[in-house]
Amino acid sequence: MTAIAMPRGAAARAREMGSALRRSAPSTHVALAFLTIVLVLAVVVPVLPGIDPYGQDLGASMRAPFSDGAHLLGTDQLGRDVLSRLALATRMSLLIAVGAVAVSAVIGLLVGLVAGYRGGRLDAFLMAVGDVQLAIPVVLLLIVMVAALGSSPMLLIVLLGLTNWVAYGRVVRAMVMSLREREFVTAAVSAGASATWVVRHHLLRNVLPQVMILSAFQIGVVITIESSLSFIGLGIQPPTPSLGLMINEGQRHLQTDPSLTILPALAVFLLIAGTQFLSQGLERTRAR
Amino acid sequence: MVTSINIGHLQIGSDVTRFITSRIVRTVLTVFAVLSLAFVLARLAGDPVRLMLPQEATQADVDAMRATLGLDRPLWEQYATFLAAAARGDLGDSIRQGAPAVDLVIERLPATLELAVVSFAIGLALAIAIAVAGELSRSQRVRNAMLWIATTRQAIPPYLFGILMILVFSVWLGVLPAMGRTSYASYVLPVLTIATFEVALYLRLLNQEFAQSREQDFVRTALAKGASRARVVIRHQLPNALLPLITVAGINLGVLVGGLVVLETVFNWPGLGRLIVQGVEQRDYPIVQAGVVVIAVVFVLINLIVDMLYAVLDPRVRIAR
Repeated sequence: MTAIAMPRGAAARAREMGSALRRSAPSTHVALAFLTIVLVLAVVVPVLPGIDPYGQDLGASMRAPFSDGAHLLGTDQLGRDVLSRLALATRMSLLIAVGAVAVSAVIGLLVGLVAGYRGGRLDAFLMAVGDVQLAIPVVLLLIVMVAALGSSPMLLIVLLGLTNWVAYGRVVRAMVMSLREREFVTAAVSAGASATWVVRHHLLRNVLPQVMILSAFQIGVVITIESSLSFIGLGIQPPTPSLGLMINEGQRHLQTDPSLTILPALAVFLLIAGTQFLSQGLERTRAR
Repeated sequence: MVTSINIGHLQIGSDVTRFITSRIVRTVLTVFAVLSLAFVLARLAGDPVRLMLPQEATQADVDAMRATLGLDRPLWEQYATFLAAAARGDLGDSIRQGAPAVDLVIERLPATLELAVVSFAIGLALAIAIAVAGELSRSQRVRNAMLWIATTRQAIPPYLFGILMILVFSVWLGVLPAMGRTSYASYVLPVLTIATFEVALYLRLLNQEFAQSREQDFVRTALAKGASRARVVIRHQLPNALLPLITVAGINLGVLVGGLVVLETVFNWPGLGRLIVQGVEQRDYPIVQAGVVVIAVVFVLINLIVDMLYAVLDPRVRIAR
């Protein structure tokens, strides 16, 4: 029985996903195409045999892409394999972005829930803190922080997370404030539900989809900031490859070998465009 | 969005005064927060004395230096001294150049402000022109195409777009200079980089605003009275879209400033951003600190002015808050 039911279930699920995909907005399709390329680069390529981002070979430096079977995308000024470095840098950017977005989503969610549900002075205080934080350009804030504290990947995740929570806080607060007045919440409250129960069963469930859409968008924002910091030498430190640093090094060889700049630039673009189109597509599908 | 701060217990005069007072309070708080953060980070950054003294300095030299800098005092006293000095416009001396950090920073400020103002104005004008053209085209397909291009542009960070511009216009075509601030031509690429980024940011908003007002009575009335499409868009729909535009422009100014700071490195622009990045490279923390504090203060003051403009332009602010 189960042997027959299982594939049928899987086929039905696949059909369901297929029709969901057909119904989704065109920006979702573009997003999925871009993100697939990025994910292959970040997840599959690093485990392939012969991937070595650190090995230098000065005799084989500055090889053009597709000119050498051993180095598909060519080599950089130190003869390191560009494909390997690109894959590891993309993976690092993605990890940092996802980590930072998770940190800021959790902070923003907590602040937004408390501020929106409690209201009053606590709300005024939390929102004022958010206003002050927004009044300082994030990149500047990060430049002084990283210049003083250093830039290990873990620290970057924490700092990027701490400086990007306000968008979540505001969105969640606004949603909670309007949900608070709806019948299903007032009914639960009058039936004696505790604040935590209301938050867990009614508020979170309604707020999370919007938080997801915002998170997709924020991944692009964080990658923009992180790669900018790496570009000016304030992100991931060499020899660990990072997209911003690869672009910085590539810029010096713009005349002779633009591919050293264009390839990491393409990875940055696919990452940011993929997540932003995804966020837009989800938003549109939700609005329908 | 910006108008949501609530300092409700400050009942001074009319609502406009109260609104402006709350903004001034916030501005002062923000500057205070920036300074405090700079102080805390400077302490966490490690001992500056070792960086300032030559390698062969003895412990006695170090202690003497610490005493001159006041680093042997209790932390709260150092904090008070720091704030008092900052109020006088003194944020310490550059470790590498010896000169007061604030002076070095102020010297670089005009180049940055100039680039910011010119790009901002051109970007805003371009965004409005393109949005109006899209509205006049009366074609959803044209508007959608514009939005796709805008989103694509937005997915390229300013520093990266700058490099690609150099690649195309300086390296391949050889028509525009890539570096420095020597002629009018050297403004083209950095200005274009920031301006197109802005167009991408504002086009979506203007499109939404136009789409909303398109169906409204004042538009239909104007059309029924025989006004031309161009007149309706420019005289009726556009003014209504300007207020949200100011709000969003105010919020995005921070993104713009951040992009500019990094972009200066790409074009070797002799501005504040380049100075800060050099400060980072040379481990000259006072320069980094002074640069960031000065930009933050200028930025916060500009925001204050935008808010005041808002209070004057939008009657709803006067009534609602």
